[in-house]
Amino acid sequence: MESVEKTEKIAALLEEKFGAKRDAKARWDVAVVVAAEYLPNAVEFLKNDPDIRMDMLVDIAGIDYLTYPNHEGPRFAVSYAFKSTVNQGCRLRLKVLVGEDCPKVPTLTGFYDSADWLEREVYDQFGIVFTGHPDLRRLLNHVEFVGHPLRKDYPAQKRQWLSTNDFLLPELEKRLEKLGYRIVQRSKEVLPNDDEFLEGSIRE
Amino acid sequence: MIVLDPNGEKLNLMPLNVGPTHPATHHCIRLLAALDGETIVAGVSEIGYMHRGFEKMVERGTWQQVIPYTDRLNYCSAMMNNIAFCRAVENMFGVEIPERCKVLRVIVNELSRINDHFICVAAAFQDLGGTTPFMYAFNPREEIMCIWEKLTGARLTNSFARIGGLYRDTYDGFEREVLAALDSTEKALKDLHACLDRNRIFLDRTVGIGKISKEHAISHGWTGPCLRACGVASDLRKDEPYYDYETYDWEVVVGTQGDANDRLQVRLAEIEESVKIVRQALKRLTPGPVDIVDPRIRVPAHKLAYQDMEGLIGRFKSVYEGIRVPEGEYYSASECANGELGFTIVSDGSGHPYRIKVRSPSLNHVAAFSEIVEGLTLADSMATLPGLNMIAGELDR
Amino acid sequence: MGNVAEKPNIITTSLDFLVNWGRTNSLWPFPYGTACCAIEFMSTEVGRYDLSRIGSEYVRFTPRQSDVLLVAGTISYKQAPILKRMYEQMAEPRWVIAMGACASSGGFYDCYCTVPGIDHIIPVDVYIGGCPSRPEAFFDAMFDLQKKIKDESYMKQRAERVKEQLEMIKAKTAEAKAEAQEFAREKISLAKDFVVEKEQELVKKAQFWKE
Repeated sequence: MESVEKTEKIAALLEEKFGAKRDAKARWDVAVVVAAEYLPNAVEFLKNDPDIRMDMLVDIAGIDYLTYPNHEGPRFAVSYAFKSTVNQGCRLRLKVLVGEDCPKVPTLTGFYDSADWLEREVYDQFGIVFTGHPDLRRLLNHVEFVGHPLRKDYPAQKRQWLSTNDFLLPELEKRLEKLGYRIVQRSKEVLPNDDEFLEGSIRE
Repeated sequence: MIVLDPNGEKLNLMPLNVGPTHPATHHCIRLLAALDGETIVAGVSEIGYMHRGFEKMVERGTWQQVIPYTDRLNYCSAMMNNIAFCRAVENMFGVEIPERCKVLRVIVNELSRINDHFICVAAAFQDLGGTTPFMYAFNPREEIMCIWEKLTGARLTNSFARIGGLYRDTYDGFEREVLAALDSTEKALKDLHACLDRNRIFLDRTVGIGKISKEHAISHGWTGPCLRACGVASDLRKDEPYYDYETYDWEVVVGTQGDANDRLQVRLAEIEESVKIVRQALKRLTPGPVDIVDPRIRVPAHKLAYQDMEGLIGRFKSVYEGIRVPEGEYYSASECANGELGFTIVSDGSGHPYRIKVRSPSLNHVAAFSEIVEGLTLADSMATLPGLNMIAGELDR
Repeated sequence: MGNVAEKPNIITTSLDFLVNWGRTNSLWPFPYGTACCAIEFMSTEVGRYDLSRIGSEYVRFTPRQSDVLLVAGTISYKQAPILKRMYEQMAEPRWVIAMGACASSGGFYDCYCTVPGIDHIIPVDVYIGGCPSRPEAFFDAMFDLQKKIKDESYMKQRAERVKEQLEMIKAKTAEAKAEAQEFAREKISLAKDFVVEKEQELVKKAQFWKE
């Protein structure tokens, strides 16, 4: 039970340093609510403090509180689960509350590599924008998808056809440029074929 | 496309699309690679081809109805996912399951792990062109499948665990058949090692291929056998023990280099450890109940429904309204075949889950894939992918 | 040609028999396996069940060398265009088996991202139930498919195809003829217009000089 005491201590430190609040909903594990603008600082502290060393970002989960009974406050929340591979068994969740009118959270891609795809997934499913993310695209749904399916007001059976294959060449060029290559001549782009459109697909 | 490399030299790269319809990518991940000759200079990967809306679907049913969906996350070891989910909900209720149930869950867990690792190694061989080990690995697997069939009624997607217990107790002769399956598992392991350990072609294609450093792997959120292959002794069964895993005599298997060969060897060694655990667990299997007695959580036995009023009401309520999980949020993680399978659960106190987010180990492994294949040849990238054991149901959910 | 095939005789029926015998016993599947059913298909291939018994010796991973498209697993909207393209790449004769509940009807994933049955995209010959379907069920489907193939008449199909082609050629020729005529007519009218214009110009010039 050392790890539980330790996480309690970390939570107290976060409360003291970053004005975080204990999440009353987390009754079985330790979770603290941080303001979005303090998130990078808090994560930097968690990752680099020699006693804490939360070196793994395990999961990012978006939550939509639209139909939650007796809920007050912002509509969305993003829950970050951290874990330490040094202090084994040490876990902590950070939660950021996000309003519907301006769903923006600073990105954690600078701290953890795993944040890249996890944040893309939350963006895809909830429409929460991670400011500073290098490549914020949809991850699971296709390019022509309109709306964000895991929001509570998205009807579960509203289907959206994809007319043709999605196209990755711009991302490849971006990746090449990131590795220090400079593109002189673009490859001949293979444009989507008009005959390939499926029945029921929306063309714009 | 023509590019200038960092030294200012002109290169003619060819963008090549690999997958999703490629035998090694299992129709579920797409890699677009810029090739210089045969070497991959840069790559980007795309997933989501098997996204089937687990998280939206589970919000529409009761808590018990989530269990069949969890089967289809990592379908190579379906029951492990059931157990991980049931464990999370049981933790929220704060109940302790009976001793026999715990031991049975350990046995089922470890046999599933054996199954999963066998498929991974077999598929890796198949992708490298070796058909014989594929046949070797499937023999014990079929035997375990036969046990599943007798135990649960299904071969692959079993839905065996229930919140607060198991679907049913074992049948007569269960122990004997498990022991026989373990024997053939060991025989198959021997055969696989004979195929693998000194096979020049296999070693040339996997040793030193697809390397990843310890720090990089942790930063990418790798868990399970893939992280242990990099030399990090991190196993939730030891770190945050549940179901008395710490009392069994077994070792955490750790690799040294973090290359494709290590990932497969770690899996094979883990099968051995699992065999050890199952043998010990079989000895601990004592008669007793497998379900907890609590009509709030576990449906009362069928015969009670015909005999007294409370049993009938309990059964009616738990089927129609579903069990009511206490209000709150919780993240629970279990060590599954591929790594840490986590469930972020939000409950609003009603009979339906408000939100369940799955933390799938495969997603983090595949996220690093396009990075670790940069600098390798195209054929090597196909030797790297099966070692990550990408399972589409878990990757895209 | 058409008349011969429409009335079956001993030559066409024995030829049909021979062709169908060959086709039924060498069905090479192309496993389009995305999910759980693919794992059951792997079990079908190996040791205990052994798919090679019924002549499906090779599992080909290219649509160009296979006869049966075996869709095993959920097809999402993101995957649908790819599946369609795969089907179109296969050479005739081709058959499709929808393995499992997901491929047949979408299964219990009734949701924003899954196609409710692959028959929305491509034609299906045999459906298999089960989630996932057992290897025995898969064999049953293969036998059903073999029966279906045995009922097909190669000669009849060929005659129909030839007829279709003939009609197509006729239609194309007629089209081309009409086009050519149209073109010629246009040219002639253009030339006429040109001549008329020139004449008018000349007349105008003559008038100008007269004045």
